[in-house]
Amino acid sequence: MDVVFQIVANSIIAGSLYTLIASGFTLTYSTTKFFNITHGVMTAVGAYTVFFLGKILGMPLLLAIIVGVLFAGLLGWVLNYFIYQPLRKKNASQLSLLVASLGAFTAIQACISLAFSSQFQTISHTAVMQKTFSIVGASVTQIQLIIVASALISFVSLTFFLKKTRFGTAIRAVSDDEEVAKVIGINTDKVIGIAFFIASALAGLAGILIGFDSAIEPTMGLALLMKGVTASIVGGLTSIFGAVVGSFLVSFVENFGIFYTAGEWRDAIVFTLLIIFLMFRPNGIIRT
Amino acid sequence: MEKKDQKKPALAVQNLTKHFSGVLAIDNLSLSITQGAITSIVGPNGSGKTTLINTLSGIFKPEQGTITVQGRTVPPLHPHDVWHHGITRTFQNTRLFEQMTVLDNVLVVLTKRSVIPSLLETKDDTHYDQAKQVLAATNLWEKRDQLAANLSYGQRKLLEIARSLATDADIYLFDEPFAGLFPKMVTVVFTILRSLKQEGKTVVLVEHDMDLIRKISDHVIVLDSGTLLAQGSPEQVLSEKSVVEAYLGQ
Repeated sequence: MDVVFQIVANSIIAGSLYTLIASGFTLTYSTTKFFNITHGVMTAVGAYTVFFLGKILGMPLLLAIIVGVLFAGLLGWVLNYFIYQPLRKKNASQLSLLVASLGAFTAIQACISLAFSSQFQTISHTAVMQKTFSIVGASVTQIQLIIVASALISFVSLTFFLKKTRFGTAIRAVSDDEEVAKVIGINTDKVIGIAFFIASALAGLAGILIGFDSAIEPTMGLALLMKGVTASIVGGLTSIFGAVVGSFLVSFVENFGIFYTAGEWRDAIVFTLLIIFLMFRPNGIIRT
Repeated sequence: MEKKDQKKPALAVQNLTKHFSGVLAIDNLSLSITQGAITSIVGPNGSGKTTLINTLSGIFKPEQGTITVQGRTVPPLHPHDVWHHGITRTFQNTRLFEQMTVLDNVLVVLTKRSVIPSLLETKDDTHYDQAKQVLAATNLWEKRDQLAANLSYGQRKLLEIARSLATDADIYLFDEPFAGLFPKMVTVVFTILRSLKQEGKTVVLVEHDMDLIRKISDHVIVLDSGTLLAQGSPEQVLSEKSVVEAYLGQ
């Protein structure tokens, strides 16, 4: 029975990480309607910023984490401002935007590899927040509890921001019809820029948390992107709540799937779920 | 928004030209819209009425010509700029924020335009009261919590008008606001247009219903193949034989 509780705990932790990635992906997808691959590499950007500032330069860890999150957000904003926004103004197709984001993803990942090598790294000199707790028979570390709390706080904050602030309403308006949003006076370029900042910062936070929980490598973004995207699609691609539901469905299916098969099947199980949804419920669980 | 000068036309275009794939939609068009009046733009399909509205609201960029708003020539308009010039519009095919409630469709235009203040701005009573006022004027207050996607065709038209009213603009561009409405809804829109005129606002209508045009318009402009065919009072223009025979089908 303890094993089942442990799988449930693992699923909640993984689902929390996917939530951070999928929420951001859903935010940029709903405002721009393109598949932003660079979203994945922001996890590595956040993680390696903390690695560089904290481990190499010796900056206090909390400060390094804050800078890491902000830097990932800023880089997302910069990529939108200098690449995606000009392409959108030239009426570039979704395919062109996707290829551009793939190029940016590859370039950023290569830069990280050149700067810090392609090896696995630990994000700090000593193990941080690794104290273990036993909760209903499941072992959970301090950092894993922080992962769950971060996802919960991010979800509540993002939902409040989108539903209760006027700027959040503007983001929803841009998601619904960008041209009409422009006509009623919303500067959609700025709205989309801030959506990119928030999304990339969340991805950066996810990367940092993964770094403290296990290890980091320059290519960590792709696998996380695919899980996050799967969660977004399963959740319906239009709402943050859908992204959360999708994230936990993906993580539970993934963790129970590998329990009954083997760890090697992890990705195959997730992508089978994706294919099933694309075939039978392409609009996801939460349809709007 | 700039201060109005009653002596200057609300809107004017000079030598405006717009092509679509080799087809001339607006051909060296020059005209002006009187301040504080209701001006109807009529003409057959393809005469350039909606293209003109789209150009005036920054959706299309003209290849040539100038646009003057309240007497000042403006640089090529972007859609998000038109609000700064005191212009708002509705669409021929109604365009709402479908996944937002009726109330939010109105509240969104009451958002502060600058990014940082709007980031922290929350819904307050002032915005709510303003939204209530325009939704009550369009008989949609009872529907405020419904998703826009679930409204009937006529209610959608009314909501789009309510959204434009909430902008408190000086110039209203309405593209076929009466099309497909029940008589009771026509009366509501009619009353709104009259009220706007009484408040000194400028209204530009693209409309096909000649009876409505006669009743409500101060000025009528007839377009043909992107050029100005006739303009003047409704009685004068709509009784011109060439206009009636060629374009109004009467």
